[in-house]
Amino acid sequence: MTEKALLFNPDQISKARSEPLWLEEARKGAYEVFRAVPWPSKKTEAWRYSAGRLKAVPFDLPLEEPRGQSYGREALPEWVQSRISSADFSAFLVFKGADLVYAEVPEELTEKGLRFLSLHQALKAYPELVEAHLYKAIPARQKGDANDKLPALNAAIWNHGVFVYVPDGLQLEAPIGVLREIEAGVLSVGRTLVVLGENARLSYVEEHYSPDLERPSVNLAMTELILGAGASLVHANVQSWGDNVHHLYRQRALLARDASLKDLTVNLGASFARSEVGSELAGPGADSEMLGIYFADGDQHLDHYTLQHHVAPHARSDVYYKGVAKDRGNIIYQGLIQLEPAAQKTDAYQTNRNLLLSREARAESVPQLEIAANDVRCSHGSSIAPIDSEQRFYLQSRGISRLAAENLLVAAFLEDVLGRIRLENLARYLAGAIEQKVGLEV
Amino acid sequence: MAKSLEIQDLWVSHDGKMILKGVNLSLPLGEVHALMGPNGAGKSTLGKVIAGDQAYTVERGRVLLNGEDITGLEPDERARKGLFLAFQYPLEVPGVSIANFLRLALKERLGRDVPVTEFYARLQEGLKTLEWDEEVLGRYLNEGFSGGEKKRNEILQLLVLRPQVAILDETDSGLDIDALKVVARGVNSMRGPEFSALVITHYQRLLNYIVPDVVHVMMDGRVVKTGGPELALELEARGYDWLKEEVAHAGGS
Ligand SMILES: Nc1ncnc2c1ncn2[C@@H]1O[C@H](COP(=O)(O)OP(=O)(O)OP(=O)(O)O)[C@@H](O)[C@H]1O
Ligand SMILES: [Mg+2]
Repeated sequence: MTEKALLFNPDQISKARSEPLWLEEARKGAYEVFRAVPWPSKKTEAWRYSAGRLKAVPFDLPLEEPRGQSYGREALPEWVQSRISSADFSAFLVFKGADLVYAEVPEELTEKGLRFLSLHQALKAYPELVEAHLYKAIPARQKGDANDKLPALNAAIWNHGVFVYVPDGLQLEAPIGVLREIEAGVLSVGRTLVVLGENARLSYVEEHYSPDLERPSVNLAMTELILGAGASLVHANVQSWGDNVHHLYRQRALLARDASLKDLTVNLGASFARSEVGSELAGPGADSEMLGIYFADGDQHLDHYTLQHHVAPHARSDVYYKGVAKDRGNIIYQGLIQLEPAAQKTDAYQTNRNLLLSREARAESVPQLEIAANDVRCSHGSSIAPIDSEQRFYLQSRGISRLAAENLLVAAFLEDVLGRIRLENLARYLAGAIEQKVGLEV
Repeated sequence: MAKSLEIQDLWVSHDGKMILKGVNLSLPLGEVHALMGPNGAGKSTLGKVIAGDQAYTVERGRVLLNGEDITGLEPDERARKGLFLAFQYPLEVPGVSIANFLRLALKERLGRDVPVTEFYARLQEGLKTLEWDEEVLGRYLNEGFSGGEKKRNEILQLLVLRPQVAILDETDSGLDIDALKVVARGVNSMRGPEFSALVITHYQRLLNYIVPDVVHVMMDGRVVKTGGPELALELEARGYDWLKEEVAHAGGS
């Protein structure tokens, strides 16, 4: 695609919403970076398996704009109804396109200090809170190489999003959630900012769903997770877009002293998905567990990149990503453990396992270590294997059909990841969604 | 008498190497036959091919179950028709609990939903026969099981699924005498006019507890001799060499 097609005007986005000046400046700066840096290519290490796919992403679609829609609870899409009836969210927001169409945030939680609203609402209601944290985990003005192209574009032109703030000491047990459906034929650019104060505690689930689309759409989304000292966040991002959606996602968590993150990234949908999930362990005692589940069928291409960036000493991080591919599906994992010189006494682990259900399915797995400290414990492991035909025969020999046997083996393969999620309802829902992907009628 | 299982001139290869070279064997309904033979004779291969293992290629011949040619069927279709193979080396399947697995298998075997109460009644009965603690049901299928536990688990599956024809491949190996008696009791509890079994073993020991109606001996991919229970005693006493010679002579003449 030509750069010409991408002549957005970040000024207009800011002006149209009467955004504060600092944001207008940040957008401009980001847009300069976007214009200056090249697109990721095959030579961009982190993009080596997906540069071709990226080239085919139609970024020149019209920007998805808010249309001021809002729904009653009964009018919410069916999938939303079904999810909220089983997910046990104590509060949730529903987005259709760029519009926040429905919000259910009990007053009791607001009184305790929870802020849970759209990012633009937050800019009006809590401008200092937003200013203090936005672009802190994913800066608007990056140092500037091809890897910064998409984050810069997002920082410049995002026009919808979510803001979550949990003040110091507030500990919420029940999860809160955002459910979003994309429209057809648009470039959707959203941003999520989650801020936890000292010793705050939260479970936050993002779910993305659409039916198969007749016209392609692009979802370019960034999520910043900012954890204060001793804060504890369980976060899940579940991507179940339909066919014809291109999903480009970056997430960065900033962990202060003794903060703890349990993250889950799920990629089940979209024609092409690229998820970059990183944690920066900025304070000693911080702990980041990053789980991933992905499953490609048909011609899906699902690419994952994780970053464990240890800045402070005595921190721990653990990546555990598992992928399944059938048909002609393509699954990719690359990960980097990066230890700065000060990051002594680090524990960092990285595991990626892949299961292939057909001959045509493909997987790549590239774990990497980059270590500048010496007194550390690091390990990584990866594997790619077809389904075990002897196990399948064993199960089939008891009367279980080939499909059901594969289903059992896939569920068994993913069992330990699902078991590590602290969100039981979500784990159950995902188990069902994965069964459907294997092909068993449920 | 009705032949519940019949093998006709079965030739089977693996990776281009012929393993079974014209096996003929028939197992009438209601009978228990033993299948003996030296290591590498092809006993397990025969069992797995009867069960439908697609790792092997059937070059020639047929497998009939109750008169129906099942040679081309998927393993699960055969199982639903009443066939069961207790594996010589049961697979470990981490992440799949025995209870979930057996419940699904029983549903397939019966072709209908199985109420929890009915399922547990069968399980309890099987566990009792095998003197086994219920605790095992929550464990993953064979994961970390000792050799003996794996064999016991095969028989538990046999007791829950109640097949019509069972092939037991060295279910006795690795069992101490007490465990052997327990397992034999399990198999004997299935015996009756509607059940037949092919018991693969190297040892007379098992046949003291599961007394066979007929003994077959396999060597180099063929059934070379068929006789009564006394044949097993003779093999126990004399080994296989005399039989090898006999076969060689018969082949030469
Ligand atoms: N999956 C396989 N891969 C390679 N070779 C095989 C395979 N299965 C069987 N064979 C070969 O076929 C021959 C018969 O093996 P099989 O396991 O059927 O013998 P068996 O009679 O069961 O022996 P045992 O008494 O030791 O269990 C052996 O030479 C064996 O190596
Ligand atoms: Mg054998």
